[in-house]
Amino acid sequence: MIKYIIRRAVQAIPVLFGITIVVYAILLAAPGGPTAKFAQNPRITQEMKEDFKRAWGLDQPVPVQYCRWMGFCNKLVDDKVLGILPAPAAFIGPDGWLNAFPASLSGATNGVLHGDFGFSIATGELVNRSISRAALPTLILAGTALFVWLVVAILMGVYAAIHRYSLFDQAATVFAYVGYAMPTFWLGIMLIFLFSGPGLNILPAGGMTETRVSPPFGSDDYWVYFGANTLDAILDIGKHLILPVITLVVVNIAGDSRYVRASMLEALGQDYVRTAKAKGLPGRTVTFKHALRNAMLPVVTNIGLEIPFLFTGAIVTETIYSWPGIGRLTILSVNNFDYPVLMGVLLISATIVVLANLLADVAYAVVDPRITF
Amino acid sequence: MSESVPSQSAIDAERLRRAEEAGEDYEIGLVSLSQWQLAWRKFRGHRLALVGLAIIATLVILALVGPIFFPYDFATIPVPDKIVYEGRSPSLDHLFGETGGLQRDVFRLVVNGARTSLFIGFSSMFIGVTIGTIVGSVAGYLGGFVDNLLMRIVDVMLSLPLLFVILVASRFFGNGSVVLIVVIFGLFSWMGVSRLVRSQFLSIREREFVEAARAVGVRDRRIIFRHILPNAISPIVVAASLIVAGNIIGEAFVSFLGFGVSPMTPTWGNILSNALTFIPLGNWWWPMFPGVAIILTVLAVNFIGDGLRDALDPRSRA
Amino acid sequence: MTETLSAQAPLGTPPARETLLEVRDMKTHFKVLDGIVPAVDGVSFSLGRGQTLGIVGESGSGKSVTALTIMRLLDIPPAVIGAESEVWFDGREILHMPIDAMRKIRGKDIAMIFQEPLTSLNPVLSIGEQIGEQVRLHLKVNKREARDRSIESLRMVGIPSPEKRIKQYPHEMSGGMRQRVMIAMALSCEPKLLIADEPTTALDVTIQAQILELLKVIQQRTGSALLLITHDLGVVAEMVDHVVVMYAGQIVEQGSVNDVMLEPRAPYTMGLLESIPTAEKRGGRLSVIKGVVPSPFHLPPACRFEPRCPYAWDLCREVAPDLAAVAGSATEQLARCHLHGKVGESRRTGALDHHAGAMRVGRGLKEDPGKTLSSRGDR
Repeated sequence: MIKYIIRRAVQAIPVLFGITIVVYAILLAAPGGPTAKFAQNPRITQEMKEDFKRAWGLDQPVPVQYCRWMGFCNKLVDDKVLGILPAPAAFIGPDGWLNAFPASLSGATNGVLHGDFGFSIATGELVNRSISRAALPTLILAGTALFVWLVVAILMGVYAAIHRYSLFDQAATVFAYVGYAMPTFWLGIMLIFLFSGPGLNILPAGGMTETRVSPPFGSDDYWVYFGANTLDAILDIGKHLILPVITLVVVNIAGDSRYVRASMLEALGQDYVRTAKAKGLPGRTVTFKHALRNAMLPVVTNIGLEIPFLFTGAIVTETIYSWPGIGRLTILSVNNFDYPVLMGVLLISATIVVLANLLADVAYAVVDPRITF
Repeated sequence: MSESVPSQSAIDAERLRRAEEAGEDYEIGLVSLSQWQLAWRKFRGHRLALVGLAIIATLVILALVGPIFFPYDFATIPVPDKIVYEGRSPSLDHLFGETGGLQRDVFRLVVNGARTSLFIGFSSMFIGVTIGTIVGSVAGYLGGFVDNLLMRIVDVMLSLPLLFVILVASRFFGNGSVVLIVVIFGLFSWMGVSRLVRSQFLSIREREFVEAARAVGVRDRRIIFRHILPNAISPIVVAASLIVAGNIIGEAFVSFLGFGVSPMTPTWGNILSNALTFIPLGNWWWPMFPGVAIILTVLAVNFIGDGLRDALDPRSRA
Repeated sequence: MTETLSAQAPLGTPPARETLLEVRDMKTHFKVLDGIVPAVDGVSFSLGRGQTLGIVGESGSGKSVTALTIMRLLDIPPAVIGAESEVWFDGREILHMPIDAMRKIRGKDIAMIFQEPLTSLNPVLSIGEQIGEQVRLHLKVNKREARDRSIESLRMVGIPSPEKRIKQYPHEMSGGMRQRVMIAMALSCEPKLLIADEPTTALDVTIQAQILELLKVIQQRTGSALLLITHDLGVVAEMVDHVVVMYAGQIVEQGSVNDVMLEPRAPYTMGLLESIPTAEKRGGRLSVIKGVVPSPFHLPPACRFEPRCPYAWDLCREVAPDLAAVAGSATEQLARCHLHGKVGESRRTGALDHHAGAMRVGRGLKEDPGKTLSSRGDR
């Protein structure tokens, strides 16, 4: 089992590398570069742009930039081979080991491999800080959404399969079709109309916390407030979570409940279910112990593969509801041509996707005894 | 009447006579159909698919003809008879109501948006299917290193969260033009098709009849075109319908976030984007109708896709 | 999706004590898109305690559906069971009892094994679990004793190292071993009746013989009755005492295995036996039954075998024959054919003679059975 996990993890490495290359290539190919945001400003002279570029190390040739960004190459070494490639000496860190190794060995602290994503061009702060500050809200949103999604999709699908063609099943099918056809942000907008200001006004239209009541989420003041009024704070966030979670989750539930239903129906039609009945087992045992276990196998993999869509959905949802998470951060940095942040976000989300796939594979192997390692 | 047992030939003759009399295959009673006839028959029986087809047909006609009767000109700003900042709700004059701000007619916006959104959906699908078929064919046919390399590329592209990447690509390369959006979406929808086509190649390549054909001397090209591709068409068609649906929603997403087509050419997505800031004013009609249009389109395409899948599945009965 | 029959008219009288299973006028039809399929159309037979009965027929003859109807494993829509159908088991009528009562009988008093051992076993549960749950349910024992009983069942069917096998999964075993596991599972609660639906069809020929041998030994040792369903006449000849031959949903011949196999009286059975190649027929034409099984939507109006029957005449197209006793047999042999009714008496001898001749040389050769085969020269 461990060998299997290691093997899959090793297979994932080239994919991750490919991702870094693609990410870097896209951003490289973008017209204008980081100075594009200055393009409109007549007061910035060409010389100032050149200074800016040099300060950020953007005047170096591409392979060198990539190498440094990744953390293979020592930032302090300036030599180049053939004018564009990093010199071999650049691969050695300050302490003598390969720069790619962890800081304790090589003394290197730069680059993605060491967790250093550079500085945000827009705000000047460490990209790590920007991302981690935005990470918690997104985790709360996506985590809650994932839980709700799983529970509801599985319950709905199984119930619909057991009571096939019943009213519930037909209603669930209609819901599934329509829900799947809906752009999530449209649903979000309609929900706001319905439940917030213009409509019933029972749920907040945006934000993560009630600004009149508590300090902004994530700030130090907020944690003080949280400690003092824990229950209120949790309820507050909860109230603000309802609409965004619904928005995020409806489309996924719609698609998955049908998949669960189909998988369950297929399991129920198998020969071993007939054998189980022939043994005289009660209906509930047949359904849950025999059929459901088998039905869940493809569902598990499917869900693992869909986790990444939670993140893409989060971008739009966070925009509509002004949720201070990674999605909103992405939009902001795309607008500002803030490359370091963008690359950091892209890399991290791609890595999460690869990890989610890996997790799905491992989960499947654990649950299905037919898979050998 | 003779009392001996009739001979076998007499029995056969009698049976033949009876069969001709009855005008049918007396013993079997079945009619055989070609694969495509069977598929069409199954599709016809699929009520939802027909509904979907009807909806799409209506929308396509609307998209083609509508802008002629209800033209939308970005530059011309209508002079409203009364200034209502959030725009007026649906009425006889304005079937879908008016937008906020400039008080444009939402109906015209939706009709014109239909043309752009549908165009984007379908043409990007064609690009994606073409690229995917080519890549999948090459990978499946050549196998080995080429196959491995191409599939790794597919893996990498699938690992990137699509929306992120499309956003970035649209922002950096797009300038609000429709063609660029089509190209970008086309470049990101080929992966699934390539996998499908590749697996068709792989499964058919291993089958005995290909070996037999090769042994007799049939050229490879003939094998590809006469055997492999026709089988691949069914899953490709089904996948294509999903791609259209996905790209229409994708374009809506991207335009909504402001990275898609510029507002000069309306698409259902950028109509919604403009409506976003006016939400607190409560003009629900502005975002609702474009959204409903999107839902209808995607529903219809999904129905058709379902119908196609059932019709082309050799195992399902008519 | 229900499995119960609604309450109908009052039931008939229970059969005698020695009769373990009695099927009366079983009619099972299926409502499908294109119409109604009369899969089992008026089938009756009985089986005594400890006895063996074989149901023989082609695919589509209704033999498997008969077994599934007895076990009430069919989903009621689309299946429709005739109101007059009754199945009596051990003194109780089981088609009309509440499904909960039926579940107590299934797996405990009547056990069934199926054709495909790979798909019939749950792939994600261990062998021990699958046998154990049945034992725990019916015999109300704790886990430890269930485990011991499971091991014992496995040992009884000849599986080596049963303690290890308990923890294994179905995919880790060969086809023959899986079928042994199915048998072990079926026997674990010592059933009075064992129904085996084509138990060896999916297995290699060499394994087939082993499994059949196993079934025979077990049946004799435990004294349970055996209902064996198969299309293979050879299997029937070795395994059972009585035989029922089915065609297109009806019984066309019924009787002891000796009578039916050596002196068949229904043309279908005759045709089946004639088509078995034997050494004597070497060099001759293979004998076949001409035509195909009729589609269930286009059944012949009277006798269902008539289009393929070499002895048919116009009565056979007009009046459907009943299952009637055959004249001149010591035991109770029944055949569904007009040849054995009053009207067919004159034709009967001709038909039987023709059959006797065909048994020796195969059809198509107009040879007198006494002559040698000139084309071969050897005899």
